Amino acid sequence: MRIPAFIRLTFRNISVNTDPGTMFFMLGLPAFYLLVLGIMFQGIIPSIGINNESISYTKFLAPGIVGMQAFTAGNIGGGMLWSDRRWGMFEQLMVGPFRRTDYLLGIISVSIIFSLGGSAIMMVLATFIAGGFSLSVLSSLYLVLSLVAGTILFSSLFLILSILVRTMQAYNTLTILLFFILDFASTAFYPITSETPEALRIISSLNPLSYVANIVRDSMVYGIGLSTAYQMLLITVIMVVLFVISLRLYKNVQTGL
Amino acid sequence: MTTDSQKAVEVRNLVKTYDGKKNAVDDLSFSVEKGEIYGLLGKNGAGKSTTIKVLTTLIPPSAGTVHVSGLDLRKKPNSIRKIVGVVQQEEAFDFTTVENNFKIYGMLWEVPKAVVKERMDQLIELFNLSELRRKRVFELSGGQKKRLQVAREFIHDMDVLFLDEPTVGMDPIMRRKVLDFVKEKAKGGLTVMFTTQILEEADYICDRIGIIDNGKLVAEGTSRQLKDQFGSVKKLEITMHNVLEDAEKNDVSDFIRNADGVTDFQVRGRSIWIVGNNMSRILNLMIKKITSMSIEIDQIIFDAPSLDDVFLEVVKR
Repeated sequence: MRIPAFIRLTFRNISVNTDPGTMFFMLGLPAFYLLVLGIMFQGIIPSIGINNESISYTKFLAPGIVGMQAFTAGNIGGGMLWSDRRWGMFEQLMVGPFRRTDYLLGIISVSIIFSLGGSAIMMVLATFIAGGFSLSVLSSLYLVLSLVAGTILFSSLFLILSILVRTMQAYNTLTILLFFILDFASTAFYPITSETPEALRIISSLNPLSYVANIVRDSMVYGIGLSTAYQMLLITVIMVVLFVISLRLYKNVQTGL
Repeated sequence: MTTDSQKAVEVRNLVKTYDGKKNAVDDLSFSVEKGEIYGLLGKNGAGKSTTIKVLTTLIPPSAGTVHVSGLDLRKKPNSIRKIVGVVQQEEAFDFTTVENNFKIYGMLWEVPKAVVKERMDQLIELFNLSELRRKRVFELSGGQKKRLQVAREFIHDMDVLFLDEPTVGMDPIMRRKVLDFVKEKAKGGLTVMFTTQILEEADYICDRIGIIDNGKLVAEGTSRQLKDQFGSVKKLEITMHNVLEDAEKNDVSDFIRNADGVTDFQVRGRSIWIVGNNMSRILNLMIKKITSMSIEIDQIIFDAPSLDDVFLEVVKR
């Protein structure tokens, strides 16, 4: 039986990205946040109240860490174009039995697999730390769709960087900068309230990870409401815009120069 | 549309221009027979790698036609990519272990796992990678990486193999091993297009050679044909067992004077010195002549033209 080209590329992407370093970045770091920060801050912030509902800090943090998987997986997947271009494998694959579309699908697929896989592991870990989460069919659907949309969104963002950025130093600096801004200026680690400094509130409201974290949190903790649907629509629109931009840039990536 | 079924590669009036500037490849035409090893030689920037990149569908041609195994490059690039192997001049690896590079490559090319295992073991052995098989690629030296890059390409079947300076960084023993392996594959029907800066390699491995300069094909033929045609002035010294008699000297001198390609000569005592072009033909003629005169030859010193001489002669024109 013939395996479609993009699935073979997905297997390859999984194979080259399951090294200890990438695994630590994908699973170890968020697990560290969940365990260490969750338990540490639990002592300082016993509970967080939103919408007249009070929950423990670990219960607040856990969905944020699950949502972060979309960003981390998008970083790994989208960043593959960067490393493949840098190490010659993009050109090597483009003279092999693949089309550009196959390569792109391979990146998107591996990002989604890593995102959903990582999220599942984080959810299991979160259950041990923060207690159980009740998921309905609708909330599960929102959870999965927000993670998939978020993953494609962040993969597209890193694809754009992979195409536009020329030097390794610039790429690494931008990646680290994005990592800090998107992760820490989002609602993943703390709630954004009227008391939050205005600058942080603005950044957080422009940060797509905030919406992914909010939808995941609604799915796992607060329940699905109108604002969840609105945020889902918002990240879908951002995802489409970024994906179209990355697609147009990707089509024009030159090989053989 | 397909072309002559015997042609593995057929290039007609190929032009490649970057940004509308000077042609990197300029009206290039040549063809490669099935099972042939065709060498493309040229200075840095002559257009060798650009030609290979067009032929492997990596960059589109600006004009002209290219057929690979009868498939039109403009119409069937995806089909062409399924039947060719490419070892690029630049490094290209998955940053995992040596062994995983073979396994991943085999999986990408849909080679059955058992076949991958068998071929991988053979290739690792042949390319002296046994001690490195569990090392990660970034731990390898330049030459070791190149060995892996070439070996990995043979994990899958192909009709045409493009080798763009495949032996860079390899030691002479390994280089010879790789060239012999490629030769063996060509005997089995594989067509090989080969570029190199090491001209002895081309001399050793190629059935035919094309020399390109400024994107144009300036000479083509077998190594022997090129040496005969372009080999610069060379020297031939024949020492006889006995001193030549006057009649013999005159006879030999007249013969040499009338031979094509002789630029200078001297017949004195036991020795004949000849300087000229196309010396392998002159050597043949001289041996025949001297033998027919029943003169015993003690020694022949022949300074034969090398492919380097041909190359220098062709590209300086």
